[in-house]
Amino acid sequence: MALYIARRTGIALLLIWIVATLVFMVLHIVPGDPAELLLSLGGTAPDPAIVADLRRQLGLDQPISTQYFTYLAGLLQGDLGRSLQDGHSVSEEVALRLPRTLELIVVAVLLASATGIPLGTLAALRVGSRLDGLLSVAAGIALSVPVFVIGTLAVLVFAQKLRLVPAGGYTPFLADPVRHLTLVLMPSCTMALSLWAVILRITRSSVLEVLSRDFVRAVRAKGVAPRRIVMSHVLRNALIPVITVIGLHAGTLLGSTVLIEFVFNWPGLSGYLVRAVEARDYPEVVGIILVISFLFIFLNLLIDLLYAVLDPRVRHAA
Amino acid sequence: MPSTISRRNLLGGAMAGAAALPFLGGRRAGAATPGVLTFGLSSYPPSFLPWNQAGTAAGTVKLLIHRGLLGYDKNGILRGELAENWAADGPKAWVFKLREAKFHDGKPVTSADVKWTIEQVAAETSTAYFRGQFRTIASVETPDARTVRLVMKEPAVTVPEWFAHYNMPILPVNSDPEGKVGAGPFMLKERERGVSITLEAFSGYYKPGLPKLKGISIVAYPDENLRVAALDAGNVDLIEYVPWQSMAAIEGNAGLALDAVDGPFMYLTFNGSKPPFNNPKVRKAVAHAIKREDVLAAAFFGRGAPLAHLPIDKSSPFFNAGLENGWAYDPELSKKLLAEAGLSGGVTCALLSTAQYGMHKDTAEICQQHLAAVGIMAELNLPDWSTRIQLGNRGQYDLAVMGTSADSNDPDGLSNVIDGSLPPAFSRSFGLKIPAMEEKLSAGRSEFDPARRKAIYQEMETIAIDQVPIVGLSWRNQGYAMKKAVKGFKNMPGQLTFYSGLTLEETELG
Repeated sequence: MALYIARRTGIALLLIWIVATLVFMVLHIVPGDPAELLLSLGGTAPDPAIVADLRRQLGLDQPISTQYFTYLAGLLQGDLGRSLQDGHSVSEEVALRLPRTLELIVVAVLLASATGIPLGTLAALRVGSRLDGLLSVAAGIALSVPVFVIGTLAVLVFAQKLRLVPAGGYTPFLADPVRHLTLVLMPSCTMALSLWAVILRITRSSVLEVLSRDFVRAVRAKGVAPRRIVMSHVLRNALIPVITVIGLHAGTLLGSTVLIEFVFNWPGLSGYLVRAVEARDYPEVVGIILVISFLFIFLNLLIDLLYAVLDPRVRHAA
Repeated sequence: MPSTISRRNLLGGAMAGAAALPFLGGRRAGAATPGVLTFGLSSYPPSFLPWNQAGTAAGTVKLLIHRGLLGYDKNGILRGELAENWAADGPKAWVFKLREAKFHDGKPVTSADVKWTIEQVAAETSTAYFRGQFRTIASVETPDARTVRLVMKEPAVTVPEWFAHYNMPILPVNSDPEGKVGAGPFMLKERERGVSITLEAFSGYYKPGLPKLKGISIVAYPDENLRVAALDAGNVDLIEYVPWQSMAAIEGNAGLALDAVDGPFMYLTFNGSKPPFNNPKVRKAVAHAIKREDVLAAAFFGRGAPLAHLPIDKSSPFFNAGLENGWAYDPELSKKLLAEAGLSGGVTCALLSTAQYGMHKDTAEICQQHLAAVGIMAELNLPDWSTRIQLGNRGQYDLAVMGTSADSNDPDGLSNVIDGSLPPAFSRSFGLKIPAMEEKLSAGRSEFDPARRKAIYQEMETIAIDQVPIVGLSWRNQGYAMKKAVKGFKNMPGQLTFYSGLTLEETELG
C-alpha cells in the first residue's frame, strides 16, 4: 500500500512539473505583453520607451530560458513568484483564495450528496411511482440549465426581488460568520444543483441494480428488516459508483467555479486565474495552474484510497 | 416531565439551525454603516503605483486618496487643489502657489514635495504616465516652501492639465512606492487585494467641512449585471460603468438615479503604412460609409451620440459646428472616392477588434456590414484584448475598432489618438503621418492666446476631416447610478467623466 502511494505521488509530481513547464512556455508564445498591457489600461497608449523600462524592471527582457530556470529555482524553494502587476506574492494570494474556492466546492458537494443520495435511494425504492417521475423531471431540468443562468436567476429572485441575501460578494468567516454563510449559500446551491441531479440519477440506478442482486434476496429471506437491508447492505454496495461520480464531478466543479465566482463576485482562485490570464501575469497563471493540477491529482488519489476503505477487495489487491 | 434529547434530534436541530443561519442576515444585506458610502467599482485596481496608468478604477481610487496641484470642478473647469493659484510666467515658465495643506501623516505639503514628485515622474527609470511630458521640464525652482516655478524647454500651454490628471498626485518626499499617504479627502484604512478597499475621512483635509462622508467602502464588481443587481438590492450606494442595457431600468426605478454623460468615444484606426489605407481617399471612403446610428443602436442601446468628426465635444470652446458632419453617412460618396482611388472593383482588408468586450465586437460587426455595402470587404479578427493591443502596437491590421477617452477636454488631449508624430500605439493609426495636422497640434500646444488657439484647432480639424487620421463613430454614454439618497455626486462632463471621483468629497448620504 505504501509503495503504491509512493509510486502514485512520484507520477503526480512529474505530471505537475510537465504542466508547469507547458503552461510557462505556452504563455510566453501567445501574443500579449504584460508590461504593454499594464500600461495600456484605460485605452491609453504608453510610450514604448516606458514599456521597455517596465519590461526590464520585471525581468521580461531576459531570455525565456533564463526566466524559466529562475522560476523553477523559486518553485523548488516553495516560492510561486510575484505578480507582474503589483509585485504581490503569488503563494500568499493562492493561499488566501484557494480555501474560498474549495469552500464553495465542499459545500456544494455536501449539499448535493446530502439531498441527492437519499432522494435517489427513495426513487429507486419507489421505482415507477409519481415521486420517481417527479424527481426524474427535476433532475433533467437541473442538468439542462446552464449554471450561469441558474446563478443569474438566483440573484434576481433571492437578492433583487425577495432581498433575502446579498447580490454577491465576500466577507471572511471570522469577520462576520452570519454574513459569510449568507454569501456562500447562493453560489454553493447553484453549483450543487447539477451535481445533485447526477448523484440522484446514479444513486437511483445503482440502488436498483444492487436491489436485484442475490445477496439482497438472501438477507430478505433471513428476515432482516427492510430499513436495515437498505442502510447496511444495499447502500454500502451502491455507493461505490456514486463516490466515483462525486470524485469526478468535484474536479469539474472547479471548472464551473470560474462562472460561479464571476456571477456571485466570489473572490476565489478561478476568478483570479481568469484575470491573471487576461493580464498575461505569467507567475500568477503558472502558480495557479500548478496548484489546480496538484488538487486534481490529489483528489484522484483520495478517491482511490476511499475505494480501498469501502471495498476490502480493492484494499487487498493494492 | 424530564426532557430527553436524542442524538438524531440534536443533529436535526443543528442542521436546521445552520440552514436558517444565513437568512438571519437577510436584512443585513442592505445594511450599511451610517455615513459610509459603498461604491461598486467595475474592477479592482491592478496596481496602486501613484503615477502609473493603471486604468480608470485605479484613477478613481487615486482621486479619493490623493490630490494634485490642480483639479476640476463639477463643470469641468480647472481649479486649484494643492495649488492655490497658478499662472504662466512668460512662454516657458509656470508658477504654482501652494495653499496650506497637510498629508495624511500630518506633515505639511511643501514645494519640496512637489519638486520631489516631479523628479520621480521624470526619472530615467520611471514608468510614470507623464514621464515623456515631464522630461520637457528644464528645471524646478522652489524659492520658498509655498512656491514652485517650472521652467520648460519649450512653451507648453497644457501644463496645468498635466497637474490636474489623476495620474499626477503630489506625494510627500520619500513616499513609499505605492503612495499610501496622500493629501486627498480620504485615507487608506485597509484593502483586500481583488476584493475591497476601505477608506476613512481625513479630518485634516484642506477644504473646511469636507469630506462629508465618514468613509467609503469600495467593492469591486467585475460583472456588470451583478453590479446593477447589487445596487438594486441595496448592497451598494453607487456604481460606475452602468451597462447600457440597464440604463432604462435604472431610470424607471423610483429609488435609483442615473447620471450619464457622453464622454468616451468609439473610432476606427488605419494601418497607413501600406495600401489601401495609405490613400486618404480610401480612408475618407470608410469615413462616409458607416451609418453611426446603427453603431449606437447595436453596441450601446442608443445611449450616446453619432460622431462624424474629431471627438471634440459640443460643450468645448474648441468645437467647430461647421465640421460637425464632416464625415456624414454618404455611401454614394464612398463609392465615388473608391473609384477615384482606382478601387471601384472593391477592396479586401482585415478589421481588428476584440471579442472580449461586447461594444468593440458589436461595433466591428456593424462597420463590417456598412463597409461591405460600398465594396470594402473586411474580414473580422477578434482576439482577446491583450492580443488586440499587441497587434495594434505592431501594425498587424488594416483597419481597427478602438474606444477610449482623451486625457482632458482640451483638444491637445486628442494627441494620444491622432498625432502620428508620436511613437506607434494601438490607440492611433499605425504609420500614418499627416505633417500639416501634426504641425497644428504642436502649434496649439504652445499658443497661449485663446482666440489664436481656437483658430489653430479649427484648421487642424479641417485638415483632419480631409486626411482622415481616424474615423469618429460614436460618443458613448458613460453612466454612474446611485440610490436617490446619495447627494452631491456628479458625473463630470465629456472626457472628464473618469474624474468624477473628485466629487465624492462633496457627496453625502441623505
